[in-house]
Parts: sequence; structure tokens; C-alpha cells
Amino acid sequence: MSRKINVLLVDDSRTVLAQLERILEEVDDLAIVGMARDGASAIRMASEAKPDLVLLDIVMPGLDGLSALRTIKSMHPWIEVAMVSSVSGDAQKAEEAFRLGACQVLGKPFDTDVIESLVENVRVAIANRPEPEEADGEDA
Amino acid sequence: MPVKFFGQFLIDQGEVDASHVRQALELMEDENPTLGELAIKQGYMNQRQAIQVSAEQRYHDRPFGDLAVKMGFLNREQLVEVVQLQRTQRLPIGEALVRLGHIEGDDRLGTLLDAYKADQAAYDVGERDLPDALANHRATRYVLEFLPRFLMRVARIQAKLGEVVPFEAKPDFAEICVSVHMKGVRGLEVALVADMEFAEALAMAASGLQPSDLDPEMVADGVGEFLNVLGGNAVSAVTKEGQRVELGPPDYDATLGDGWTVDLAVGTGRAALVLSTF
Repeated sequence: MSRKINVLLVDDSRTVLAQLERILEEVDDLAIVGMARDGASAIRMASEAKPDLVLLDIVMPGLDGLSALRTIKSMHPWIEVAMVSSVSGDAQKAEEAFRLGACQVLGKPFDTDVIESLVENVRVAIANRPEPEEADGEDA
Repeated sequence: MPVKFFGQFLIDQGEVDASHVRQALELMEDENPTLGELAIKQGYMNQRQAIQVSAEQRYHDRPFGDLAVKMGFLNREQLVEVVQLQRTQRLPIGEALVRLGHIEGDDRLGTLLDAYKADQAAYDVGERDLPDALANHRATRYVLEFLPRFLMRVARIQAKLGEVVPFEAKPDFAEICVSVHMKGVRGLEVALVADMEFAEALAMAASGLQPSDLDPEMVADGVGEFLNVLGGNAVSAVTKEGQRVELGPPDYDATLGDGWTVDLAVGTGRAALVLSTF
């Protein structure tokens, strides 16, 4: 049996959150553990819910997705973060996301196959890596 | 299938993974000259000025070139020239991946580049007669070309664009008005005005929710997200041409001023696009 993947969704648009929820409902062994609508909430929820995967929007009011990515990866390096954005084709933005540790940059409109394939890649990556060393109640 | 950059396409194809792209980006960073280095080499700036601009970047989230112009060290023409020079001297990500052994040789790279071009061909746009102020903003062409394609892709709504004519007044049918701003050397505001029938159809298709689950905020959000997708892909296409344009989040309280309007002949409800430069 494959390991269940816990996913946190982050986008300022309720439409996108509903869209992603609908796509991910079809994926086996996956749970959506939270939804956030800005970068600051995403960082807090990543610490609380400890998801395996965060789908994170780039353009958001307040703290944007790239700033949130930087913080999440520095606090929880084992959490996989895929950026989702309508400006994903902007090479400068996409390159910055990869430099900061994103595992993929997904464009909008979404391609369901690409999202499903991302989840499977994350599942494989998690299965193949050692358990993170983590102090009780603290992040490494 | 949105506008993509090549590294993203290669990951989608399973050709490389994110760690390979990161290694390639590191190699590119080591080898590619910075804008400051090129401006010094061209004799447009000196070392001291470049250091001043870099120091200023700690306090402003703006690219080096924009700040150098703002600080009076470069003029616009020099910046355009140096950016072009940087583009021609840049090690492309495909070649970096070949050099690192993550793509097996130039032949394989050629095949992948052909596949990438075919994938992105849907986003090639033709020329269109536009008022000068709009024609000067490269994003306009992409917005107008992408609009019917994304309406079909996202909401299965067929749309035919009317003529671009001067904007006179908010249309009588307008119940929803949302806009996005594209900020670059020139600014462009793209507003979508629509009646509730069109807006609900768009929001329903974009979110996958049933009409009973749509509240007025969600309807506006759906229209805003559609504009975000439209504007984001237009911005991505423009940046591929070497221009820097930033997309802002949707404005749900857009006020329509001077500009141009394009009526949309749609099968569901009524809608129009309003374009203004700033």
C-alpha cells in the first residue's frame, strides 16, 4: 500500500483552492490537511500541519509565494513545495523558485495529468529518503 | 498547457528533475555575466556605481537595471542594449543540462527543443491592428489572442472579439468589473466587465462548484482568477521576448477610465474587455 500524502494548498483565490481540491480528490491515498490564502498563513500552517507537499501560489497580496517558499524550505527542508502560478512561464520567476528549493513550477490553467504526476513523484521521493531527524515538537 | 519555460517543460516530460534544473541554474549563474558587469564592460557604469546599485537592492525589491536607471547611472537605451547583450551571451538552460550530462548530447537537446516549440506553438500570436498606445505595450497582443483560447479552455465558452474602439462609458450590462495591472516600462490595465450570467458561467467552470455553492464573492473571485490566468500567460509570453513585466493581483473594485474597449460575442451572457495604459 502506498504511503498517504498530506497536502497543504495555498492560493489567495478561493476559485483555485476549489479547483485544486477537486483535482486532488481524485488522487488515491492523499489528504488535504489545510488551505491558506496568503504567505504568512502558509508558513504557520506548514509548521502546524507538517504536510508532505505544499502547492503554493506565487502572486499573492502581502507575503508572496517566493518569500513563503524561502521560509518554509529553511524551516522544513523535507517538505516538498511546488509553485502554482499563472506567471510560471516567466523564466526569472520559475528559476528563482527552483533556486529556493521548489520541486516543480506548475502553470495555470492546470493540467490535471501534471498535478497527478507531481504527487506520484513526491510519493516516490518520500519513500526513497530517510526519515527526517527532528527533535520533539521542534523543527530541525 | 500554459506558457512554460524550458526547464519546467523538461520536468513535465520526465526528462530531468528539479535537482538537475537547480544544478543547471547554478552553472548558469557561475558563467553568465551580470547586468552590472556588462554595463561596466560597455563603459556605461563604473565599479563604484555598480556596488552602489547592488547595495540599494537590499532596500528595494527591484531589478538591478531598473534601479541603475532610477539612480541615474544608466539611461533607458543603455539598459535595453545591455539586457540584449546579456540575452545573447547567456548560457541557455538546455546547454547547461547537456554540459552537466543530464541531457544526452546536442541531438537529444535538439529533439527536446523541437518538442518544446511544438508544445508552445499554441501561444504564438499574429500581428493585429491596434491603436499606437496599445500596440506599444507588447502584452496587449497576447491578451487579445489568448482571451478566446482561455475562455474555451477554462470554461468551454466560445468567444469572438469585436473591434478595438475607444472606451466611452461602462456598458449597461456590466454587473461585475474586475481588472489586473501589468507593470513594466509601460503599464497596462486589463478589465473584464460582464453581466452575472457570463460571470457565473466563468466562475462555475473555473472552480468546478455548482451554482448553489457560488456566492457573489466567489463569482467575482472566479472572474478575477480568469484574468489572473489570462494576464499571467500574457506576462510570461512578454518576458520571453526579453521585457520585464510584473502582474499584480486582481482588483475587484476596478474603476474604468480612458482607454479602449473590445466587445466579446459570447454564447453565454454578455462581456467586454476594457484596456487602459498607465
